[in-house]
Amino acid sequence: MSAESESNSGLLRSLVPPDQVDRLFGVCGAHGWKLLAASAVVGALPPLLGLQQGYYMTVISEMFLFAILALSWDIVGGQTGYPSFGNMAFFGIGAYTTAILIKDFAISFPVAMVVAGLVAVAFAAVIGAVVLRLRGHYFAIATLGVLLAAQQISRNLDITGGASGKILLEVPSGTVFYYLFLGVLVVEMGVVYYLSNTRFGFILNAIRDDEEKATAMGFNTTYYKTAAWMLASLFTGVAGGAYSLFNTFIDPQTAYNGAWNVELIAMALLGGSGTVAGPVIGAFGLHTVIEVVETAFVGWQLVLLGIVVIVTVIGFPEGAVGTLREYASEMEYYKRGGMAATDSGEEVSADE
Amino acid sequence: MSKATDAAETDPQGERAVLRTDGVTKRFGGLTAVDDVDVEVQNGEIVGLIGPNGAGKSTLFNCITGTLNADEGRVYLQGQDVTDWPEYKIARAGLGRMFQETRIFGDMTVRKNLLLAAQEGGASVGNLLRRPDDSLLARTEELLDYVDLGGLADTRAGRLSFGQQKLIEFAMELMAEPDLLLMDEPAGGINPAMLENLIQYIRTANEDEEATIFLIEHNMDFVMEIADRIYVLAHGERIAEGTPEEIQNDQRVLDAYLGRE
Repeated sequence: MSAESESNSGLLRSLVPPDQVDRLFGVCGAHGWKLLAASAVVGALPPLLGLQQGYYMTVISEMFLFAILALSWDIVGGQTGYPSFGNMAFFGIGAYTTAILIKDFAISFPVAMVVAGLVAVAFAAVIGAVVLRLRGHYFAIATLGVLLAAQQISRNLDITGGASGKILLEVPSGTVFYYLFLGVLVVEMGVVYYLSNTRFGFILNAIRDDEEKATAMGFNTTYYKTAAWMLASLFTGVAGGAYSLFNTFIDPQTAYNGAWNVELIAMALLGGSGTVAGPVIGAFGLHTVIEVVETAFVGWQLVLLGIVVIVTVIGFPEGAVGTLREYASEMEYYKRGGMAATDSGEEVSADE
Repeated sequence: MSKATDAAETDPQGERAVLRTDGVTKRFGGLTAVDDVDVEVQNGEIVGLIGPNGAGKSTLFNCITGTLNADEGRVYLQGQDVTDWPEYKIARAGLGRMFQETRIFGDMTVRKNLLLAAQEGGASVGNLLRRPDDSLLARTEELLDYVDLGGLADTRAGRLSFGQQKLIEFAMELMAEPDLLLMDEPAGGINPAMLENLIQYIRTANEDEEATIFLIEHNMDFVMEIADRIYVLAHGERIAEGTPEEIQNDQRVLDAYLGRE
């Protein structure tokens, strides 16, 4: 993050003064709820202004969907420091739950979606008890194992339709899904934003930064990790529950999509993990680029995804929002902290 | 039956010691890192724990905090048997700990580090979902000003220098107000000017806030100056206990440090 900003810091500083960026963060922080409300209104406008069901509406709905998934991933991956490669398992379970409930049990769509979320949460509670004992690479691999196992199981069961999956023909219109994904996203952003300023949110961040220290301070980290994991699975499960109808079709490959899981991580990292806006911005940005590339050069979007991940991890590990925040707080540090640091030695001798 | 359990969970000696270990032993394979060690820390005391490298000081600390389970012996905190408790529960019962290598939450702001340390309210759902109130925020600012780091509240803690981080870690303990604070080499790696500061802070916390402190230290001048009493460990065994003067003149201690048997 710093190598970049230091090499051309002169030009960058004059164009975008850090204290202005800092002020922007201050404004955003002070008016978070208003910003969220305004975004919700802006997001709700396009269909009212004449956006018809079709390609663009589908693309925007998918953007909302990916933002939900990336933000959910970030609750555990970014806020709590447990990078999961198995979030799509919650998605798949949610997707199959609605598909089965609606097709085989004639349950209504809204009820089925809520149940989908709850089933995903129950699954997360059970799986979390095992995988959340692992850390770092081991956690990542274990969660990937959960995803692959879930995919394999659904491929071999009758109720899930086996490898050929389930087709859903009577589905609501695209506008319904547009507002559904938008609504879930706004609610989720509100929840994450609220939590990030509570003691619960602080504890999650503490677990990310130093879990042993957090334990030594009296926090039962297993409890908090599991709570975060279940919260993430709720939103992911609901989104999956809506997706099977949005897509009108669900099979093991689409429901438990490992490539999507990588996309989610890339979106969160690119936008700035550990923040509220970061994963959402990352999802909007990356999904747009992927969509454009896919339209122009079919197949190359995966190459692009790989390049984006590499560049982000090497150049901007904090993501767009994190890098900006770092840039802004840098000045803060030199203005106040840097001086405090050099002063403190002298102040001591003055006291003597 | 339940009465017997109750009795076993309280300190049989029934004294008002904040901390008492009774024959704590910890083995790693064939090595006995801590061998039948008794220590006791009374309310309001500053007690030092010294000994050559590998004497078992940090292991004893780990047995007290619950990071490691003692193979034998009991640990009593405020008269309660906490030997088999999980680490977080012991911490919640009033045990604070500062690590040897300073450990704070680097990607969180300094303010959040301090807010996190505040213990009031516990783990109730209501408390977890509440935003920090004004009195807590005010206390944070007050403590930051106290350790001369006012104005750094919004800085990412990981940006601070090692010495500053140590002060933040100490301020976090002032925020938490534990019944007993374990400090593992507080003087390690900080410059002499900041050490003077730290001594002052520890003294003030001890005198004004009646903080009880149990500390491991290699810096002899520092520990002799600050401790009321000192325990000496060598090869896992407690070889001496006494006031700083007594320890300085103890032949066994001198032998242990000079490597004589």
